[in-house]
Amino acid sequence: MTAHHASPSVPPHRYVIIGNGVAGNQAAEGLRSRDPEGLVTIITNNRLLFYNRYLLPLLFRSHKDWRELQSHSADYYQKHRIRVIRDVRVTAVDAGRRQVMLAHKEPITYDTLLVATGGRSYLPEELADSRHLLNSFGTYEQAMAVKKALPDRGTVVMLGGDMIGLDLARTLLSIDCRVVLVTHETTFWPHQVTPEVRMEFLNVLRDMGMDVIDGDAAGGVTAIEPGTAGLPARRVVFRQGGDVYGDVVMPFYGLVPSVEFMMGSGTDIERGILVGTNLRTNDNHIFAAGDVCQIWSEQEHAYRFYYGYQNVRAMGAVAASNMTGGNEHFAITQNGSLRRDGHGHIDSSFWAYD
Amino acid sequence: MQFSDDPRDIGWVRTNVPCQNACPAGTNVPAYIRSIAEGLHGQAYEINRESNVLPSVLGRICSRPCESACRHGWPGNGEPVGICSLKRSAADLKDSGHRITERLFAPTGKRIAVVGAGPAGIAAAHDLSLLGHDVVIFEKEEKPGGMLRYGIPEFRLPRPLLDIELHNALRLGVQLRTGTPVGVGKGAVRVSTLLADFDAVLLGTGCMAPSRLDLRGIPPGQDPSRVSQDVEYGLHFLMDLHRGQNKRVGRRVAVVGAGFTALDCARVARRLGGMEVTIHLRTSEEYIPVTHEELFETKREGIRIKGLRTPVGLQLDDNGRLLGVEFVQNRLGGWRDNGRRLAVPIEGSEFIETCDTLIIAIGQVTVNDFLDMRVELDRWGNVRIAENGMTSVSGLFAAGDFVHGASTAIQAIGHARKIADKIDTWLVGRKRRQVVQMEPVAAPLRDHAFDFIQRQAMPTTPLPERQLTREVECGLTRDLASEEAKRCYLCDLRYQINVDRCIYCRACIEVAPRNCIKLISDVEIQKDGSYGQLLETKEWSRVAAIWIDNNECIRCGACFKVCPVACISITRNKLITVDV
Repeated sequence: MTAHHASPSVPPHRYVIIGNGVAGNQAAEGLRSRDPEGLVTIITNNRLLFYNRYLLPLLFRSHKDWRELQSHSADYYQKHRIRVIRDVRVTAVDAGRRQVMLAHKEPITYDTLLVATGGRSYLPEELADSRHLLNSFGTYEQAMAVKKALPDRGTVVMLGGDMIGLDLARTLLSIDCRVVLVTHETTFWPHQVTPEVRMEFLNVLRDMGMDVIDGDAAGGVTAIEPGTAGLPARRVVFRQGGDVYGDVVMPFYGLVPSVEFMMGSGTDIERGILVGTNLRTNDNHIFAAGDVCQIWSEQEHAYRFYYGYQNVRAMGAVAASNMTGGNEHFAITQNGSLRRDGHGHIDSSFWAYD
Repeated sequence: MQFSDDPRDIGWVRTNVPCQNACPAGTNVPAYIRSIAEGLHGQAYEINRESNVLPSVLGRICSRPCESACRHGWPGNGEPVGICSLKRSAADLKDSGHRITERLFAPTGKRIAVVGAGPAGIAAAHDLSLLGHDVVIFEKEEKPGGMLRYGIPEFRLPRPLLDIELHNALRLGVQLRTGTPVGVGKGAVRVSTLLADFDAVLLGTGCMAPSRLDLRGIPPGQDPSRVSQDVEYGLHFLMDLHRGQNKRVGRRVAVVGAGFTALDCARVARRLGGMEVTIHLRTSEEYIPVTHEELFETKREGIRIKGLRTPVGLQLDDNGRLLGVEFVQNRLGGWRDNGRRLAVPIEGSEFIETCDTLIIAIGQVTVNDFLDMRVELDRWGNVRIAENGMTSVSGLFAAGDFVHGASTAIQAIGHARKIADKIDTWLVGRKRRQVVQMEPVAAPLRDHAFDFIQRQAMPTTPLPERQLTREVECGLTRDLASEEAKRCYLCDLRYQINVDRCIYCRACIEVAPRNCIKLISDVEIQKDGSYGQLLETKEWSRVAAIWIDNNECIRCGACFKVCPVACISITRNKLITVDV
């Protein structure tokens, strides 16, 4: 194992991490321990420091200050000499100059770059015009916006119903909200389920008190409209006719990797950034980790996404090691199928974190 | 106003106006965008028409090489200017009684036959008629337009608009003979006959055959549509549809291909009732030669895109009906000579995608079996031409895709204009050359604040209203066009420091928003006589000049405004063609 160590004549190595989530922070920690003299910079479009997104559903049970969700305090970053540039948007990566370009035109130079921007909630392009009438659930601010818009015992219409959404759904049901699930092929994402298992767990959701609408049978969602006076604030319209009303409509169609700023950088991209199991891209100076990357699977002869807290954290550690001269390979640490808990409710390994 | 044929000035325009340089037709983009910013849409339309006779058409379907080159899209500068949308807005927003201007030459008495009324044939015929020649177009289809009419769906290019611009292009006396095939078959006019009857013949027949896809179980070269009625080439699918045939697709449609044709086929299939339409790519979305907007609208219509796969076989039932397509998984490889990404199949990774209809749209090739004489071809079957645009047969010229293979409408138009010029030279001996027209500009025409205006999104038709003939893109409003026009850096404006008057106070360097003003010891001169690299220095003793690097300059005018001795000048630079 070799790590970069700066001598008086060699300037410190500049590590830049784009993304302030689980993978990015795990990598930053690893980089700091393996290269004490290196300059570690995290760039994030979030205003807040790294916090635990798995705790966001709890905001609906009791008021939590965002600091209660925080994983690391500002002191942590100061102590570990990790510079965090917050509330900025990366617009491009100039691999030739090894610069990350920010929206306000500031270039950040790197020697080694880790892209760990994760994924954002996918909204099918046909619903793009309705975006302003939908509530996402990826950040603390978005969760608070949902909380504000949702009256007591209000109704949430969930489109799709991936495991992020179903995690929120069980919290909402527990506080007597009504949850209407409009199914889609992404229901239970990232689990890949057989038709039989899908049917079984849709019944589990019904037993938990959820209203389940067969999205396929309804022809899919064609539009979201503002509700009319005296009715809930949103109306979901189906292609085959019919509608459903809710106070809040939330898309849970899985995640799409946040890679737009990497277009034109010369880095190989399919849907995510393509990497080997060592998390290297086709550019020796650029690595990728977390939900943003597709890792080559020799077994499946395909590039695959690996989701889940533990997988993503393991990727952060592997990336840090290899960015400092190591030669480690990512191995899946978290996989699993849908299951029922002791109450007969739905449970998933993807909800686990530590 | 000054004119220059100094290679340094000509080279400056070529280097510093990347959009114009990228446009195969050489459209003066900054000039027409400036006209739009001033609200002069008719003027903007005319500037377009100087180099491209179909601005309204290209404003809708152009592949936009200009936007890929736009300085505003360079790293750190944001998104490129919506040049194509602005071109369209010039056409859409010009006055209803707009007067078209044409620069006519006296009649020459020469007769020219043009074969094919596609973009190349139309552009060449227009230019040749301006130059005073009598032109006759021979077109085998019932209506002119070629791939514009028969290959592009109406929801991208409304036919009434196409008809108007084709009419305007040909109204100066070009004879159009539609339904008149040129070839060797019965009733066809032979090329040798045209050569005997006309002073010159131009072949602009494009690429009218689909590239073949070899699939396991189908003899090489055999059309897969002969094997199953559920398999069709995209070119035939679109052309049949636009000739008025009723086309049908199954519920699950697979489209193989990565270009505009593949996207068009998928979008048509969706409108014809395809419930699950998927485009299968050999590489990935990043490397396909279509615009982001087209890709977005395609996905928005519910079409899926799946990457890293190559079709290798068909799965058919006993009656020849399609059950699925067999693919092999790919990984990304290196780069091909044409700048496209290589896909490398992974052995043993075959898998099946079930579908009811397969549309193959992997490219197009030329057809040359209509020639009744020996004409030299290249190894792809495209016709070879000499420097003067002529084929191996005297008097027989060729232009557009028939020469270069499948390309884009703007490439065909750009090439056809050049060939028209060469035909004119060959027939009557006229020669032309390019010079730079330099017009002084009194003050900067844009503010640095304009850099932060976001690219304006194209308004579109709501999804439920999208049908085969309803145009999807609605065009920019006057306000949106004006806002988008402000974003243009106006790269044709040249900022220069008069070193004889400069007092080297560095005030301009202090206010420069980027590293655009440099202290240099020398400037390299390239082989063609144009300016090359700037040799920067930080030693005052070696400073020969203070120089505005127009490659970095965003034409904000901050240096011009701050200069205490007014030694910075601005000129608008335009490449024009003059008779020798």
